[in-house]
Amino acid sequence: MRAQVAALVGAHLSDRRRSLLAWGIPLGIWSAFIVVIFPSIEDALSKAVQSYPEALKEAFGISQLTSVEQYLQAEMLSLIVPLALGYLAVRAIASGLTGAAESGRLDVLLSAPVSRARLVGAGFLATAIELAVVLVITVALTCLGSLVAGAGLSFASALAGYANVWPLALLFAGFGAIAAGFSLRTSVVTGAVAGLLVTMYLIDLIGRLDPDLSGVRYVSVFKYYGNAIEDGIDPLAFAGVTVAAVLLAAVGAWLFERRDLAG
Amino acid sequence: MDDGRNRDRGADQALRQGAGIEDVTFSVGAGEVFGFLGPNGAGKTTTIRTLLDLLHPSSGSARIFGLDSRRESVAIRARLGNLSGDFGYGKQTSGREALRVLARLRGIEGTGRADTLAERFKADLDRPLGRLSRGNRQKIGLILATFHSPELLILDEPTSGLDPLMQEEFLALVAEERERGATVLLSSHELDEVERVCDRVGIVRAGRLIAVERVADLLAKAQRRNLVNVEFAEPVELEQVRAMPGVVKAEYGHATLEEIFLTYYGEGEGEA
Repeated sequence: MRAQVAALVGAHLSDRRRSLLAWGIPLGIWSAFIVVIFPSIEDALSKAVQSYPEALKEAFGISQLTSVEQYLQAEMLSLIVPLALGYLAVRAIASGLTGAAESGRLDVLLSAPVSRARLVGAGFLATAIELAVVLVITVALTCLGSLVAGAGLSFASALAGYANVWPLALLFAGFGAIAAGFSLRTSVVTGAVAGLLVTMYLIDLIGRLDPDLSGVRYVSVFKYYGNAIEDGIDPLAFAGVTVAAVLLAAVGAWLFERRDLAG
Repeated sequence: MDDGRNRDRGADQALRQGAGIEDVTFSVGAGEVFGFLGPNGAGKTTTIRTLLDLLHPSSGSARIFGLDSRRESVAIRARLGNLSGDFGYGKQTSGREALRVLARLRGIEGTGRADTLAERFKADLDRPLGRLSRGNRQKIGLILATFHSPELLILDEPTSGLDPLMQEEFLALVAEERERGATVLLSSHELDEVERVCDRVGIVRAGRLIAVERVADLLAKAQRRNLVNVEFAEPVELEQVRAMPGVVKAEYGHATLEEIFLTYYGEGEGEA
């Protein structure tokens, strides 16, 4: 069993080796750029933030921009990285299921003594590893940028901030597994789950902007995302979202076992 | 003939899209080459995908090696090899990478007889599949289906895209597999290849199995006892033949294009 999962995960990561770099390097360079320019715009930023509308500051979780961590949170970790990684997660799990069905690989793999549930499980595990690798590349480039520019970014804070994206993105891989239980078309699965990702973000945003609607935030995973680069990782939220992602993937595996795989 | 080895009993597959199958009941004996014959859309692939547990029947059941094709599908697949008519895996992956994955999934050390088969079929295992022609991809699929010497080979229109030389080689391989003791379920609409390698055939029409017969019996039934092909030692004039008592028609025979093709490519002169 372990050898089968290792083989499937290895094959999945090998197929997506270009994607690891194609996502990790641009995100890392972008993040590093934010860190590099911070020392030169720090003063101007502080003044600018004071003039920002309260709603805008609330929407992006900005109270003040007096540290590089706060600037990184506002520019990268409040919106871009969670949405990008969430989308990457859906793409990754879909490539192992619907993409494999479209290319014919699924038929070949399922001619071997491997269950569909194991296939989904391995795809989910490979997606988790892929997300972690992309985040490690991003953190490494960001910290390198800080070192070069002398921005003073705390490695531990940066690691916490980016690591906190991992369970959130993984949750959408779980949704992707469920979607693959209903459709074997990659465009349908990625479109549906990307729509859910944006919808959850907007629900959370609305809940933050309007106190009367704050209750709706409970249906969005972004409520449990927080601001780990400044506050540290909330272990309960981190573990809870990870467990939810695993449960969703398990439901996806159950659905995938039961569906027809038409040629 | 029913030894319970491979049996699809009344697999009644009602698919939401396209033609399903119903009332398809047959059995295949150990070491037999069974042809599954029918035009495109008759239900051959649906039957095979049901046997492989890729499609789930709305009623009916199938048993392979005495095991239920749904509940014990994993155990069944450990003992079979499968090739579909339009093999695909992934454009960036090479045949050898795919082989390594399949070997690990099957718990096999190394890649079995894959290199021998690659040499025989002149298949390039190291080139990404996306850079291979359809025929050359199909050869890789054939190797993936047979490298582990399975007890049962399920081949769904396996010669699609293969040139005549490789089709010949494929038919020879099927004959060798039978000699080895393997059972083969061969779906095809190529009547010639079915006639040459199959012991029995099942004929499918519009999702129903309408006949199961030994190939020899089918041919005997269709034999026209008033039509005889005769080869003379020397060229003859047709008028001489037509003048013979009882002859109503005589015409020169000619080689098929396939036979002509094969005369241009002797053994060892396959494609580049």
